[in-house]
Amino acid sequence: MTISPAINGTASGTASQDRRLRTAAPQSGFAPWKDPAKKPIIRFEGVTKRFGDFVAVNNITLDIYEREFFALLGPSGCGKTTLLRMLAGFERPSEGRILVEGKDITDLAPYERSNINMMFQSYALFPHMTVERNVGFGLRQEGMPNDQIKLRVDEAMALVELGKFSHRKPHQLSGGQQQRVALARAIAKKPRLMLLDEPLGALDKKLRNQAQFELMRIQEQTGTTFVIVTHDQEEAMTVASRIAVMNQGTLEQVSTPGEIYETPQTRYVAQFIGDVNIMEGKVVSLPGDGTVDITPASGDGRIFKAGACQGLVVGQQVWLSVRPEKFRISLEQPQSTINVVKGRVDDVGYLGSISHYHVHTEAGNRVTALRANSSQSVERSISWDDTVWLEWPADAGVVLTA
Amino acid sequence: MKSRFSWFNVTAIVFGFAFLYIPILILVIYSFNESKLVTVWGGFSTKWYAGLLQNEQLMDAAWTTLRVAFISASMATVLGTMAALVLVRMGRFRGRTLFSGMIFAPLVMPEVITGLSLLLLFVAINFDRGFWTIVLAHATFTMCFAAVVVQARLTDFDQSVEEAAMDLGASPVATFFQVTLPIIAPSVVSAWLLAFTLSLDDLVIASFTTGPSATTLPMKIYSQVRLGVTPEINAISTIMIAFVTVGVLIASYMTRMQSTRAEKERRAVDAGAK
Repeated sequence: MTISPAINGTASGTASQDRRLRTAAPQSGFAPWKDPAKKPIIRFEGVTKRFGDFVAVNNITLDIYEREFFALLGPSGCGKTTLLRMLAGFERPSEGRILVEGKDITDLAPYERSNINMMFQSYALFPHMTVERNVGFGLRQEGMPNDQIKLRVDEAMALVELGKFSHRKPHQLSGGQQQRVALARAIAKKPRLMLLDEPLGALDKKLRNQAQFELMRIQEQTGTTFVIVTHDQEEAMTVASRIAVMNQGTLEQVSTPGEIYETPQTRYVAQFIGDVNIMEGKVVSLPGDGTVDITPASGDGRIFKAGACQGLVVGQQVWLSVRPEKFRISLEQPQSTINVVKGRVDDVGYLGSISHYHVHTEAGNRVTALRANSSQSVERSISWDDTVWLEWPADAGVVLTA
Repeated sequence: MKSRFSWFNVTAIVFGFAFLYIPILILVIYSFNESKLVTVWGGFSTKWYAGLLQNEQLMDAAWTTLRVAFISASMATVLGTMAALVLVRMGRFRGRTLFSGMIFAPLVMPEVITGLSLLLLFVAINFDRGFWTIVLAHATFTMCFAAVVVQARLTDFDQSVEEAAMDLGASPVATFFQVTLPIIAPSVVSAWLLAFTLSLDDLVIASFTTGPSATTLPMKIYSQVRLGVTPEINAISTIMIAFVTVGVLIASYMTRMQSTRAEKERRAVDAGAK
């Protein structure tokens, strides 16, 4: 499996077919969700889905824009797959509407949604058809002439770099090849919207990483809007332009991967994405310079400074979250007295490129700090039972209100 | 560990199979008997088979039986497949347990009861008894066998395959004929063969539901045997045995093919998961 930077071998395509494939990749400034003039391609309006008494999706309103690679992320049972299946037409919302390109598709059957195609977690290949007939299935349903189907199938197979297997049956292929067939079959109809339900869940880790970049390449080359469901936060961070973190049927946060990581809005999001240290506290004062002073709920009177988030009031209960890699860990007491805690090293986890330190602070908290092992034993290495100081800049601490 | 070979086991197997197959074997052997007496061996001959072709009554009965079996098996397969689809696909609907119970009850229902109740029904609605009443009766009692065979296949059928077809623009009807039916086809064929052979050798239900106009082969044989066994009966029975054996062999072969294919698919998916 190789990752080729450009599409090859589509000698067949007509001018209009090639235009779709050559559409340029989204630029780094790609942020249509910030542009109020931009119309979303998908709009969920107050969508709720109940199965009996169980609320799978609870009043979700969400806009997804053209050419986004949008990830629905959450643990199993959070409603992300239900949301995707409503988009494909396999589930009907109990309440609310779903609009695609301004058109209400809430009540359309899956086979009436010609501009939406889905790739299934189990791949759902047709076992009695060859790869070629699998990929051409959707086009045959449209009644396209055979010679055109052949061209489009070849094009889709070239896009996923799966040329020489066209006459095999699915059970004669490896898992990675089956995954490509499933992708080619969904993309062959050139949908405006491509839905992917845990598309890489069955692949091993190495293959999965390659396949993620491959998905991004195909998404950029075709200019299709992708919506992916995943429970793997690294996968979502890698491929997505924006991530919706879901929890028990609701949206916790919808932001870019960077924002999700650096400025999570809730404790749930902070803990779901990566490691984080969270301390409960109270707002003591708002000095007015864009920072906030917080005292721990344990009541030892210390004050920590953090970059403020909007709308805080003095006395409010908040949580201060600091990512492990934001700490500066040292054996000497730092000059500064702001945001410094003293502690003892409980545990060291050496991972080669980085080390994890579990520090027992004076106040009795357990804190995880992380340090890149950039220098080769120049400094004395930090070890068990060492007394250390952890220091972090004010803007590394994120104040959470929920 | 000791060898599993023991004289007791061998004896048990020999006697068991002898008990099952010696009567049939004798019947087959005596169908090639030159002598008219069924108990005396008078040399090898196929004249009884040739004689069958002259026996119009027997040939008529055989032809009726084949037509009944063909039509009723086809009806039973369609209905059984539909019942299996509903039971597997509709999930939990009100009355599902009752419905599935009612489909499978005829499997264990005494044939006399089934025959009698059908007879009473046909009499009550004043339906002329004859060829079509046998067809309907056979379709009724073989349908549940067909449903069981097809249902077994549908339970391990990945439903997302059908969803994928619909997602790619196939209507529910197109999905059924292009995707579902080809995948479950072997089980549908074996359901048909099972229904066919069941209908072929049924005596009780046919006797209850027939009228003066239609006689099936088992009925004909039974009535002739009461007047004394002739080698002709042996010959026609041998042909029926051959029919049923071939049918059962093909049905079990199809089922094996299907499970091999299912196994292959599973292994392919497992390979993907690794």
